[in-house]
Amino acid sequence: MNIIVCVKQTVDLQQVRIRKETREPVLDNIPLTIGNIDKNALEEAVRIRDKVGGKVIAVSAGSEQLTDTIKEALAMGADEAILVISTEFEGADSGAAAAALAQAIKRVEDYGIILLGEGSADNYSGQVGPRLAEILDLPQVTYVSSLEVENGTIKAVRNLDDCFETVEVGVPAVVSVVSEINEPRIPSVTQILKAGKKPKQVFKPEDLGIEITRSITTLSNLAPDQDRKRILFQEGTDKDVASLVSALEAEGLVRR
Amino acid sequence: MEKFDVVIVGAGLAGLSAAYTLARAGVEVVVIERGDYPGAKNVTGGRLYVNPVRQYLPDIWEEAPLERHVTNELLTMMSSENSTTIRFRSEKFNRPPYQSYTVLRGTFDRWLASKAEAEGAMLVTKNLVDDVIKENGRVIGVVAGGEELGADVVIACDGVLSLIAEKAGLRSPGDPRNYAVGLKEVIELPRETLEDRFGLTGDEGVAQLFMGSLTQGCFGGGFLYTNKSSISLGMVVGVKDLMEKKPQVEVPYLLEEFKQRPEIAPLIKGGELVEYSAHVIPEGGMAGLTTLFSDGLLVAGDAAGFSLNMGITVRGMEFAIASGVIAARAVQQARERNDFSAASLACYQQMLEQSFVLQDFKTFRHAPQFLENPRLFSFYPEFADRILEEVFTFGEGPKAKLSDTVRKHLSFGEAWRIARDLWGGLKI
Repeated sequence: MNIIVCVKQTVDLQQVRIRKETREPVLDNIPLTIGNIDKNALEEAVRIRDKVGGKVIAVSAGSEQLTDTIKEALAMGADEAILVISTEFEGADSGAAAAALAQAIKRVEDYGIILLGEGSADNYSGQVGPRLAEILDLPQVTYVSSLEVENGTIKAVRNLDDCFETVEVGVPAVVSVVSEINEPRIPSVTQILKAGKKPKQVFKPEDLGIEITRSITTLSNLAPDQDRKRILFQEGTDKDVASLVSALEAEGLVRR
Repeated sequence: MEKFDVVIVGAGLAGLSAAYTLARAGVEVVVIERGDYPGAKNVTGGRLYVNPVRQYLPDIWEEAPLERHVTNELLTMMSSENSTTIRFRSEKFNRPPYQSYTVLRGTFDRWLASKAEAEGAMLVTKNLVDDVIKENGRVIGVVAGGEELGADVVIACDGVLSLIAEKAGLRSPGDPRNYAVGLKEVIELPRETLEDRFGLTGDEGVAQLFMGSLTQGCFGGGFLYTNKSSISLGMVVGVKDLMEKKPQVEVPYLLEEFKQRPEIAPLIKGGELVEYSAHVIPEGGMAGLTTLFSDGLLVAGDAAGFSLNMGITVRGMEFAIASGVIAARAVQQARERNDFSAASLACYQQMLEQSFVLQDFKTFRHAPQFLENPRLFSFYPEFADRILEEVFTFGEGPKAKLSDTVRKHLSFGEAWRIARDLWGGLKI
């Protein structure tokens, strides 16, 4: 039984800054990575594989740099990768992503479980998992915080914020995980070096008979307006301290 | 232990230039970098002279992500209330091939890494090399992230204060006199605003150096470079002077003061601070160089001490690129002999001596000593500013002759010291 993990290439959010003037995120030339919760899904897949055997196959759709970005998943322990590559995926919606992933997954023989993060690092729609399950006509279990796979049965605990729900489902099934499920490993140097040599299958959307459609238009993408007080105390004397304290008191930030 | 032909420590300009050259020649090369991506931890003031290095990395300069070609060279002497600026502009510098460009390392190094990877170099980021592995006195690999990696040759390109050169016994922990600390802000401005403020057309750029009161008498100075849509502004101060200065002064404080100067404030007004960085800079010249090779090991770039203060210009990046490429060539020669001993790798030093790298170090060997003169950073800027202040001041009474003005600020002893400094300056 093989394990499929869907990962998404996004900009490294740690490197993104907001341009003050326009409140827009600066996305040019930002290093790419795979999403944080995707790494949880990947870690879970590797753990399951180490217990029950099979291969971990990372599946992803994205721009050309994906062939490089996917090395991160391969370094973490995925055995091979299937990539659907097109510039069209930039800014594409969950429907397009799910359609592409589904067609790529259909190329895999004998998969038992399809793992995803609960949402991607950038859009966080949380839709790709459920959409994928519908397209592939598979049962789905979402928001999983603990997972066990034994004898073709998946036992999953779902974190529903106000309660936990334990469910059982047979393979194959789609499972989306939350970040608390595990602590993703940091790949070692030799694993990183080996990652470049692991097998990758690369498809174009037309190879898989997919047309990338857009049902969503982004009108604006702005950071919340944060107005700073911009008060400068520059007397250079103890008076500054008193003025600062009274200014903080006036804001209710300190109390005597 | 996994073994490779070459392991390079550090994906800066030296490491990447070596990796690119070796990978192109079909050598199996691994580059290990501690930053999140190449360039993440690298700092430059901001200018690369292309002519010296064009031939070392052939065919790639056309598409290099460089910022602006410098056509305006400004030198400013600052005293507490005055400043004198010499502005040199050359139309010759405005014709391709351009001689120097401003550069942002976050962009440039990542690009160079992608070129090296495209040639087959393997890059590992986010991993620190902790140690070298030695066998019978020769370096046979490194320890990175707790794992051992073997190599015929290790090239240490791990920057100033090189841990690898130190662990291998080629370098002793440094003398503060051989180092300076640099601080830099990148301040973003709309392209049009920036071009208006500096009087620039197209991709032309400005390089401005400052000396005088901004360093409060310490060795060092300020710099300003215009990028496409940002300004690199910062200063460099000698570590020894900072240690000995009474009362003590913090460099970030000096930089803040510098930014508030009326000469600077309007240039950066309304700009957004997008990057703040600091770095140690090798300033030891010839005397500050490490031993450059040993059994199984080569040292290149800042790690070797290849940064040279020539007075008006401080150069490091060209030496890094050239020494990286020359290290790669030395490895190729050693591979032909299948001998990676110090004797075989000595060709590295020979090639460096034939190149501009060690020739420049030799030519400018007196520069560090000359630049130690505190008068350069206090007396001269003040002197120039004071004379010009009087020349341009018109008071109530009759105006003094220029020669009287000069004489007023210049005793015989002072004139003698200037002559001596001048003589020292002519040696570099």
